[in-house]
Amino acid sequence: MLVPAVQVLNPLTMHHQETKSNSEYKMNYLKTIINGIFKENPTFVLLLGMCPTLATTTSAINGMGMGVATMFVLICSNAFISLLKDLIPDGIRIPCYIVVIASFVTVLQMVMQAYVPDLYNTLGIFIPLIVVNCIILGRAEAFAAKNNVLASICDGIGIGIGFTLALTLVGFIRELLGNGAVFGHRILPESMDMLVFVLAPGAFITLGLLIAIFNSFKNRKA
Amino acid sequence: MKKVESNLLNMALVMTVIAIVAGGLLAWVNNVTSGPIEQINKQVIENGIKSVILSGSDMKFRVEKPYEKDGFIFHSVYDMNDNLLGTAVESTDKNAFGGDLKVMVGFNPKGEILGYEVLEHSETPGLGALAGEWFRQESSEMKQQSAVTTILLGAPVKPGSHNIIGMNPGDGYLTVSNDGGQIDAITASTITSRAFLNAVNSAYKALSDHIGIETESDTGVEADSDNDTENGDGVGAADVGDDGFNAGAGSTGAESINNASSRN
Repeated sequence: MLVPAVQVLNPLTMHHQETKSNSEYKMNYLKTIINGIFKENPTFVLLLGMCPTLATTTSAINGMGMGVATMFVLICSNAFISLLKDLIPDGIRIPCYIVVIASFVTVLQMVMQAYVPDLYNTLGIFIPLIVVNCIILGRAEAFAAKNNVLASICDGIGIGIGFTLALTLVGFIRELLGNGAVFGHRILPESMDMLVFVLAPGAFITLGLLIAIFNSFKNRKA
Repeated sequence: MKKVESNLLNMALVMTVIAIVAGGLLAWVNNVTSGPIEQINKQVIENGIKSVILSGSDMKFRVEKPYEKDGFIFHSVYDMNDNLLGTAVESTDKNAFGGDLKVMVGFNPKGEILGYEVLEHSETPGLGALAGEWFRQESSEMKQQSAVTTILLGAPVKPGSHNIIGMNPGDGYLTVSNDGGQIDAITASTITSRAFLNAVNSAYKALSDHIGIETESDTGVEADSDNDTENGDGVGAADVGDDGFNAGAGSTGAESINNASSRN
């Protein structure tokens, strides 16, 4: 799955690239971004970061907030880990990555608390948990540690957008069925609310069905 | 560039440098954001006091320096002629569905509830999180429910009252109707409702213990101890039962199940 985007940018094959034109470079970066949204969508295809996916998607705006917060950390950590990849000895790479990731999460937490207190109050306990979100360490290991800074940032953007879209979609469906609302605005009468969709079982049902739909489309296309 | 070799010296050196740089970055960000964060927290408290004592009106008032005791924080509010308008009490209950539930309750000098605000909570959105509005609304008509909801949560209950504004916990502590009390719990969120009323009751008790409440028999004098002994059982009653369901955020489904069974 990972092959097309990564292979071209692999340091081992770098000398081939030097003959490539500028537009081809741009194509590859764009491909890396698209790759994160569809082909390697972290939620529906890689099935990474399931805990925040299930826990924070009680409404569309919560899912979106969590997705954007994760994307910020992902882009920053990918960029820095890619930048530092040759300076960090292999033996201690994981602790170093975690320190980098944890620093960005803490920065994000303090900035959110200071400037968007409402969102901070809703997402509160889930923000520190971004540190252990396996998407971020996963991308650091699988992509940022092997590719250049720009490609790693693109990967962060792609995976981040994919994660944000997935969380917003799950949140949108749960909010619509559970509370009859779209982004906080009620559009269905209260009599049609199905509370189970706001609760944990609804999260599993929604996510399961979405994964099935996403993969059936993906397989048909392939 | 050649990759740095994994020997002990390199590893220790790199790790140390990264930790120091990260520490420095965090110290700087903390320095920048601590001001605004403090400002926001102050604003939240100020708005809370305004809302729970003055019902949001723009009247001029003066707040005494907060007094803290046993985890309760008291803000006494006076008008410009130094008449006591009421006291806002910050109170926390640790047994809500998602952990701590922190409320601010405003009492007038007689102990009647003027208003409340939920300051911090981690309750389920659409269920327990409704506590911020539920306990100041008159109950609506009997709710229409979908067939699925009825199967999952049981038949709709008779409309009762869940507006606590104007009530005086001194006349009997507030408890949910499931426990034989007079307040309707939030639909499918009995545990949150219990925790909320418990926080209100303990705020009242702390207020009468530490600051004093005027009673009708001796107006203007500090509250007599009768106030506690008469109604002392009430707080306990709100806690009874279903401890097993208080496990926390992990068992989100349990709350609705609990409510369904208590209705049947």
